Amino acid sequence: MKPEELGTKEINTWCPGCPNFSILQAVKEALSNLANQGKLNIENVAMVTGIGCHAKIYDYLNLKGFYGIHGRTLPIAFGVKLGNPGLTVIGFGGDGDTYAEGMEHFIHNCRYNADLTMLVHNNQVFSLTTGQFTPTTEKGFKDGSSPLGLAEKPINPLVLAIEAGASFVARGFALDVPHLGELITQAVMHKGFSFIDILQPCIVYHKYSLPYFNKNVYKLENHDVTDFASALTRAREWDYSYEKDVKIPVGIFYKKERPVFESQWPQLKGAWSTIQRKINWQNVTKEFK
Amino acid sequence: MEKTILIGGAAGLGSAVTSHLIGKILCSLGYYVFDYRDYPSLIKGGNNFNVLRIADQPVYSHKQKYDIILALDQGTINLHKKDLKKGGLIFGNKETGPIVQKLQGPQILANDVLIGMFFKHFGVGLKIILAAVEKEFGSKSDLIKKAVEEGYQLVETKEKLKKGQLVKYFISGNEGISIGSIAAGMDLHLAYPMTPASPVLTFLAKRQLENNILVFQPENEIAVVNMALGASFTGAKVMVGTSGGGFALMTEAISLSGMADLPLVIYLAQRTGPSTGVPTHTAQGDLKFALNAGHGEFAKIVVAPGDAKEAIIRTQEAFYLSCKYRTPAIVLGDKHLGESNYTFDELEKSKLAAVSSPVNRASSYEHNALGHTVEDIASVIKGHERRIKKIALVEKEFLKFNPVSVYGPPAGEAGKGSNLIISYGSTKGAIIDALSSLKGFRFLQISYLKPFPKEAVRREIKKSRKVILIENSATGALADVIAEQTGIIIKNKILKYDGRPFISDDIIKNIKKVDED
Repeated sequence: MKPEELGTKEINTWCPGCPNFSILQAVKEALSNLANQGKLNIENVAMVTGIGCHAKIYDYLNLKGFYGIHGRTLPIAFGVKLGNPGLTVIGFGGDGDTYAEGMEHFIHNCRYNADLTMLVHNNQVFSLTTGQFTPTTEKGFKDGSSPLGLAEKPINPLVLAIEAGASFVARGFALDVPHLGELITQAVMHKGFSFIDILQPCIVYHKYSLPYFNKNVYKLENHDVTDFASALTRAREWDYSYEKDVKIPVGIFYKKERPVFESQWPQLKGAWSTIQRKINWQNVTKEFK
Repeated sequence: MEKTILIGGAAGLGSAVTSHLIGKILCSLGYYVFDYRDYPSLIKGGNNFNVLRIADQPVYSHKQKYDIILALDQGTINLHKKDLKKGGLIFGNKETGPIVQKLQGPQILANDVLIGMFFKHFGVGLKIILAAVEKEFGSKSDLIKKAVEEGYQLVETKEKLKKGQLVKYFISGNEGISIGSIAAGMDLHLAYPMTPASPVLTFLAKRQLENNILVFQPENEIAVVNMALGASFTGAKVMVGTSGGGFALMTEAISLSGMADLPLVIYLAQRTGPSTGVPTHTAQGDLKFALNAGHGEFAKIVVAPGDAKEAIIRTQEAFYLSCKYRTPAIVLGDKHLGESNYTFDELEKSKLAAVSSPVNRASSYEHNALGHTVEDIASVIKGHERRIKKIALVEKEFLKFNPVSVYGPPAGEAGKGSNLIISYGSTKGAIIDALSSLKGFRFLQISYLKPFPKEAVRREIKKSRKVILIENSATGALADVIAEQTGIIIKNKILKYDGRPFISDDIIKNIKKVDED
């Protein structure tokens, strides 16, 4: 199949030139490639989104899908996996969505290690609500809700994910579609919780990101992805701030398989909807007699 | 024959386990037992107690005057002696202490000494008790059996319990909800621990493999309910369980269930609020919250079982309606229903089968038939009308599930008939037990709060003289619901908001007061 076969006829309402278009393209390329190699059945892919600019991707991808609510991509995606472990589940979230409203789910899903993929469109700003700060916005940022300038330092989601036990942690750059597509491919194929923080520079409410990324992003090389300590060190190279030019590594920081959540539950064999239940009422009630 | 027994002690001393075992043995002898559990929110210390009401006729509530107090500590005697009937007995540390010492066992053995004393007093054969102890405690029962035997030898038989005909079922409301969910064909139960709903979580978790269901405790209630909807998307049948505070966290996703057309069953066990309130005690203060939970307009089902047996059937109905109309259903219970044990001759399940199926698209946004996002005027209207139509469909179908029940003598002539008590949920037991002492009263139990059986309620009220609302709350919210649904204002309310359930004596006393007005 061709990547464009994964598209829909819905009118795209992202801003012209938004890097979200590139993320959409990378996803289509990754999934169509995997399908063409026989590694994936597109019918079995389910996407889950939160709410925000990123979530519009639900309308632009011709996949099974659940357009969720703000911050709840991960519990919904996890529930989809619990309901039918045979599905390939891909979650999409924003930075406010995943790291503010949904932070507790993010940390716990890193721990649970269910076999699902989480792609975060990180533009370091709430854009659909016209430009408020998020947990990854840099210190000093001024806008409608922070006119005095943001006092706090941003969090580093890669460090959090590695520490919390995610078994695949990567960073991508939206505008490098072939590289991002390769990261998504690897994330989807990884057995366990795969997380990619995607730098998606907002061209309306966070304009200085794009030139900064173009200048400073580089690809991780000579890095042992199974080395936990080294993964943390590389993840800390850039702290999501813009005070001075700092090189920003993209690529896989950490990748180490461990048993997935689903493997701990003997009863989790396939889709529950296919089970024909016959209730033995005598058995269920005998303990009360 | 009727006896009321109090078993108490500091938390951790074993009163709940002992009362349950005594209740179970009595049920096996054919007696009807109601077991009320009262405990503060602590792990060790305080005073936990259970009240066992035992009778040869069905009983659905407890009393507050005791024939026997089985005391695991002196505090129990100090606290409850005032409620001992004249000539009543106290078995306590004085009797159990020396035996526990002699057996060099743990303090908890006092329970078993008391069990031996209790059954000897009533002339129940030692073999029956030892068999029950072995069944309950299995391989670790040797020392326990010794303690029972020692207790048995300590007293004389003063009264003789006759063996009844039929072995009874002894079951709590929470267990009723649990096996109702199994009967409904539930696949997943998700819950974050919260009293008084968590016994359902632990009951189902323990039995998950034998029933081929999956029980999981996520990071919080928001995760619980959103995971439930994710699973529901794949066609799995899911129930979540919680109490007021956790339910508050779930309300955003209740609305998502309504918008995305995803079945969801929620067990809401009320406790004394607001906020943390009195967490291990009972109340019916969340009725309007349950009815109105979730922003926007969509169909919802709220059903309130009145005892453990109803809990089975009503939970099945909640699954059936939620799956058929793909909208959320709430099973509204409370601490008193959930944590009290009831006795029944039979446990029945309904024949209803809940059927769900996977969908390809689900959306929190207004969407068209393909699941794609729409914002244009015609589509927005269409979306609302599709959801509102479900309300009408549920309103039509729920009528076949006996949304109201009427107990007591028939009303007779319109306007001149008997008086009417109206209530819902766990107050049923105490009201039913009071009814035979109240001449000229009927009891209207409302089991469906949403949709509301307005025609039936209006009809019953119209053919009654005095109408009295009974509710375990400070405001009597059901009266407001009835006013909204039927236009009828109920002035007489008997309310209880001390965290404790009604007992029939309270009801009789208060009704007589209203009746004399």
